[in-house]
Amino acid sequence: MINFFTKKISIIFFIFVPIIFLWHPNWLGILGVQPYWPLFWLLPWSMINGSINGLIFGLFLGLILDSLTLDSNFTQIPGLILCGVLFGRIKLHSNIVLNHFRFGLICSFGSFLCGSFYFLQILFKNFSDGTFILFIPSVQNILAEVFLTGFFAPLICSHLFKMFKSSGRKVQQ
Amino acid sequence: MLDIRRVYISRWWHKKKSWIFFGILLFLVFVRFSKGSIYKDFYYFISKPFWPGQFQKEVILESLEKESLIKLNLLKKDNIRLRKILYLQESSNSDSISAAVISRKTGSWWRQIILNKGSKDGVEIGSTVIGPGGLLGRVNSTSLFTSSVTLLTSPQSKVGVWLDRVQINGLLVGSGDDYPNLILYSKNADIKVGDFISSSPASTLFPPNIPIGIVQSIHKPIKAKKTAKISLLANPQVIDWVQILKVKI
Repeated sequence: MINFFTKKISIIFFIFVPIIFLWHPNWLGILGVQPYWPLFWLLPWSMINGSINGLIFGLFLGLILDSLTLDSNFTQIPGLILCGVLFGRIKLHSNIVLNHFRFGLICSFGSFLCGSFYFLQILFKNFSDGTFILFIPSVQNILAEVFLTGFFAPLICSHLFKMFKSSGRKVQQ
Repeated sequence: MLDIRRVYISRWWHKKKSWIFFGILLFLVFVRFSKGSIYKDFYYFISKPFWPGQFQKEVILESLEKESLIKLNLLKKDNIRLRKILYLQESSNSDSISAAVISRKTGSWWRQIILNKGSKDGVEIGSTVIGPGGLLGRVNSTSLFTSSVTLLTSPQSKVGVWLDRVQINGLLVGSGDDYPNLILYSKNADIKVGDFISSSPASTLFPPNIPIGIVQSIHKPIKAKKTAKISLLANPQVIDWVQILKVKI
């Protein structure tokens, strides 16, 4: 049983991404905005398994998260797929401290991409209704999300990366 | 001549991985179209120990609550009796369901709450949700045990409202922050900071005269529109218990 959990640890964490997305712990947020949780899982997964896997699991995550949010007009899939592909092309640096900062920067960039894609969809949909109303709060949302994602990424991503990598090695053995 | 044919043994449909991929994809598409009901029900069970009012001072206040409920019921009966005497319609409606907020997304793009009552308890899509203070939003999807509510602050929400002082209808549009925008399609509408707004009698989504909020600031008129920021009376960030109205409009 323990062996099974060690082997499938990445999948178990995958299942818990939407749960955290639903949980939405307010004490971790700024202005009610949360870090963009799916990126914390997608970054280590894509870095270990490559772009194709990143793309597939970006799609899977997008499908699940879209089903949990009520905005049926907008989707998170394009942003997550793009992030999955981009993250798969990143190689790990030999310096550990540098890696921590890179996780933060990469996740911030990913969150900016996803937020911008989402915002563009909202803008496109509400173009006739006076887009100026949406502009300032949306930019605030994107910036707060980028900051928080970048802030938590070094802590979470590096741990997940280690766990996924070690479970992968055990499987190979 | 012998016809030498190549035997392909590694077509994609021979690979187990491809079938697993399609299986998972199909399952996720199902989850998407069922609006995540499996996940929401799973979340319902694992979050059960953390629901509001399970352990805290609710236990101590329970007896007090019972007492006030009995008093309330007595007063309700009295009210109905007196109204019958005066031939007035019954204004109190007992068609409401109390529900606890088990998930709250009140920041960022997605402004929704998930309640611990679902289709099993008779919650229907489109039901009105009110909290202490006034209107919160509308039930957008239900699963067996949970229901998801689109808040008035969500960019997807558009609600017809009524300004009582000016006697004019307006449109309340969520903008992705805590203060939705009121749009009045009249440049000369005489609105002031502090004006009270409620759900419009002309609305097809909500029952009329449910308190919504007060005008917080007024923008300069653009073209034929006048817009204002609204401060909501019911604050979804802190509300733990809500009422789902089952009234048909």
